[in-house]
Amino acid sequence: MALESLDRSPPPFFRVGFAPLTKLIFFSALSLLLVFGDKQLQFTKPLRAGLSTLILPMQWLVLQPGEALSAMGTYFQNLEQAQTNLKAAELKVLQQSVRSQQVEQLQIENQNLRQLMGLQSSMAVTSQTAEVLFDVPDPYNQRIVIDRGQLKNVALGSPVIDAGGVVGQVTRVYPLTSEVTLLTDKDQSIPVLNSRTGARNITSGDVLAGQPMIELKFVPASADVKEGDLLTTSGIDGVYPAGLQVARISHIERRVDISFARIHASPLAELKGRHVLVLQPSAASALNKGKAP
Amino acid sequence: MIMSRREALLLPVSPWFIALSLLMSLLLSMLLGLSQALWLPDILAVSIFFWGIHQPRRVGMATAFILGLWMDVQHSALLGQHALSYVVLSYFAFSMHRRLLWFPIKEQMLQILPFFILAEVIGLLIRLSTGDDFPGWTMLLSPFIETLLWPVANFILLAPQRRASDPDANRPI
Repeated sequence: MALESLDRSPPPFFRVGFAPLTKLIFFSALSLLLVFGDKQLQFTKPLRAGLSTLILPMQWLVLQPGEALSAMGTYFQNLEQAQTNLKAAELKVLQQSVRSQQVEQLQIENQNLRQLMGLQSSMAVTSQTAEVLFDVPDPYNQRIVIDRGQLKNVALGSPVIDAGGVVGQVTRVYPLTSEVTLLTDKDQSIPVLNSRTGARNITSGDVLAGQPMIELKFVPASADVKEGDLLTTSGIDGVYPAGLQVARISHIERRVDISFARIHASPLAELKGRHVLVLQPSAASALNKGKAP
Repeated sequence: MIMSRREALLLPVSPWFIALSLLMSLLLSMLLGLSQALWLPDILAVSIFFWGIHQPRRVGMATAFILGLWMDVQHSALLGQHALSYVVLSYFAFSMHRRLLWFPIKEQMLQILPFFILAEVIGLLIRLSTGDDFPGWTMLLSPFIETLLWPVANFILLAPQRRASDPDANRPI
């Protein structure tokens, strides 16, 4: 018998695959490649979108216990409490209806005046409501997940507001859900206008004494800023429509050794609310308007 | 698998039970993650380490990598952050799986604690190196709680393999 015809492969008992160290190096390199791809090069977007759609059924399943608990809580809520809530809500609607009727009139007046002066008229903002599914579990940043995504025409960068004011901005869009970075996140900035003085500033998220806050950046120590000043969006970024309420200034710290004041403001939005409104970015809606015949 | 001197003989493991237990710990980890508490243990890490010790042929680094990616997407963390810590955990589980089971359970816990700390620190280092802030000291509690879960994992995950202990004349053990 020729030697070549002998089966020289080892019997299956000894087949253990690659050495553990080889596997460790391979998978570690792959993980690190993904980390830096995700952080710097953005080539992992399709992978993340695909996986996030894949895990959606399990996410739904995981959310059910919490939903059931809150449903049970509402069921056993006192009838009286429900009635007082209803009364308060009705009162609020009544108050707001007066205000909204005034707004209608003011808007018409404003438009007429703008036409008289030959200014560009401000555009209407298209919006859609969305439900907050959960807070993102990652402890390193502050984001929420909402139940509207690419299929409902949520655009990347859309501003998100709730009854109180600006919540944040859509930073990741998946087919069925999207991620909103809260304005108290470290990497989130909004250009704001101090409604008392008219000064324009830029904010970024910060944590003060364990409380998520926003910080006004690059304000000279001599600037005219008071506690209680209302900050609204200035609208110069082309993302946020002008005039949305953002925050109220709560802490001012002026120190001699730094030429800037440390100014913190507490956001007006109820950041952990149940429903939010997703707006079209105003520059994008302006572009769409320009394209339409 | 090498038997510890103190452990009774175990029945062969069912691959379906391994899959089911990993799925359940994945769900539990997702559920605990929603509360955003830093000190809560990563139950999936405990399961991966447990099966890496008891069934190194079935649950290895590839499984750890895929489950890690899943957790990364669920947590909206950087892709590869959990994957890397689970892969490292799984590697060390493989490297000590012949030795660990000879020790009583308390000494086992003492030996696995550094690896859970290492897994936590890897995730932390990745995030710090990409420019995130330190989230809080309570996160260092979670490896200790994971270690405390080791006897619980031993009890639950080996339960289907334990032999019914009713010896009679025909069945001496």
